[in-house]
Amino acid sequence: DEVNSNLMRELENGRIARLVMKLGTINERPEFDNDPSWSENGERYQLKLFRDYVFHQVDSSGHPVLDLGHMISSLNKLDAGIDERIHLASRDNQTVFVVSYKELKKMVANCFNELAKPHGKQ
Amino acid sequence: MDSDWDEVCRVPLPPPGIRGHPTPVSTLSFDTSQELLWAGNEYGRVSSFYGAELQQYTSFKAHKQGDGKVHQLLFNDKGVIALGSRSVHMAMRRGPPLWHIKHEDMKELRCMAFTSRGTAEILVAGEQDKMFVIDVNKGEVVKILPTEHHYKIMRRSRHICAATTGSAVHILDSVTFKVSKVWTAHAAAIHDMDAQHDFIVACGVTPRQQGYSMFSTLVHVFDLKNMVSMNPVPFPAGAAYVRMHPRMSTTSIVVSQNGQIHVVDLMNPNTSNVRQANSFTFTTIDIAPSGEAVALADGEFNIHLWGSVSKIHFAELANPVEFAQSGGPMPSLDWNDNTPLSSVGMPYYREVLLSAWPRDSVYEVGAPPTKEDTQFLATLQRRDWGLFGKNTRGVQRNQIEDTRSLDKEQSLLKAPKFLSEKARSIAHTPAGTPAPEEVVPEMSQ
Repeated sequence: DEVNSNLMRELENGRIARLVMKLGTINERPEFDNDPSWSENGERYQLKLFRDYVFHQVDSSGHPVLDLGHMISSLNKLDAGIDERIHLASRDNQTVFVVSYKELKKMVANCFNELAKPHGKQ
Repeated sequence: MDSDWDEVCRVPLPPPGIRGHPTPVSTLSFDTSQELLWAGNEYGRVSSFYGAELQQYTSFKAHKQGDGKVHQLLFNDKGVIALGSRSVHMAMRRGPPLWHIKHEDMKELRCMAFTSRGTAEILVAGEQDKMFVIDVNKGEVVKILPTEHHYKIMRRSRHICAATTGSAVHILDSVTFKVSKVWTAHAAAIHDMDAQHDFIVACGVTPRQQGYSMFSTLVHVFDLKNMVSMNPVPFPAGAAYVRMHPRMSTTSIVVSQNGQIHVVDLMNPNTSNVRQANSFTFTTIDIAPSGEAVALADGEFNIHLWGSVSKIHFAELANPVEFAQSGGPMPSLDWNDNTPLSSVGMPYYREVLLSAWPRDSVYEVGAPPTKEDTQFLATLQRRDWGLFGKNTRGVQRNQIEDTRSLDKEQSLLKAPKFLSEKARSIAHTPAGTPAPEEVVPEMSQ
């Protein structure tokens, strides 16, 4: 049983690490600068906002909150692409989206496939 | 209008930034299928407000700041279409964009209307010589039509009614977009217009001496069924804005610039119902599809909502608004090395997980690290945390270097060395230490 639970643990680690790597390869690539789809009215702006939602949480006085539970559960929900909807707000609070994890998952998968496509194997 | 109509709610339009000054509402529209009121501002931002309390729902940027204000909003079942001077943007009601069209001939767009194909196609026009037909589902320009007339307001009823920048209203065929009838409504310029079922109503401005203009004291009416002009409806306070009541087909709501609201039956103009909204000047108005609410935007950047407190609602058949859901209580976790990442369980899922990586991406690992170019290092400046300077190595930042094949080429060219030769070459290296690639094989043994 203990071996089993240890195995589960390591599997989860690998899964989350892979997910974070995927997100890491996508966000803030300089190739995407000046690409209209990443601008504030572009279709990929929400991925930036999701990164902020997961990793840049703050409390009411603006101090960073490093809530591991929030990060893992949001990542898990993204991984599974469930129908739950979340609020995404831009840094100046001027843009407010209501997006489901399902849509975000599709968006991440599209972006990642686009990155993987043009060269294929390196 | 019922006797219990009053101002139900008043909210300010959010300023364009944290330290920004508030800006006037450039356009105001009730959603056709959800309990939402939408407002556009001078900087291309669109915000939505929910219900009778006008609780802020979503907000997104439809156009670049430099492209000016949002001119008009249209709705279909998929989302909201926002018109700017140089582009057309469609987004879901929840905010994420669906498509964005920018065309070099879109210069001074002002207005748009659905065509004969229901809500699947729009006609876009403005103070320019081209009109665009856009497929709403695909998000593509289908046709570009030349036009001699410049339009500023468009409404669709049984035809497309388009107010020109002058004094006329053109009635366009909604299939061919040809002008089928010209109705000269005012002597001067049209200020606001609405069309519904059988009627077009329009109010205008008349220029006066000393350069300022005045709102006309008549609301002009056109009968679309018989294609004739009808008797104008008098409005002594000066009609600035006019809307047809969506339920009562002969009733219209006329508002003066300082907020006097008249509800008039076009067939019987003498029986009017008068209300007064309190503010200085009003900049735009709209009536809800249910007829049970009227929104007014004033010159002090507020949105006023009028209606009967007990039964105010916006849409005729309201679909529920999709709010964010809270995922229940979150377990609190400790950041330490022993916290397993599996402490938060996965939700139920059936599809392939996002964390699945493509199977065919194979990368070799364990190649020797790239060699530091000593000449390059010499160009850097030293600080106690490291070195810094310009990237002059001739490779891109973060570019991968195939160190393994470089090594192979070298080893193919060179004959294997004897131990004594190795010792000699080590002695020849500047610091007397072996180069990294000569150390690696020995360490791996």
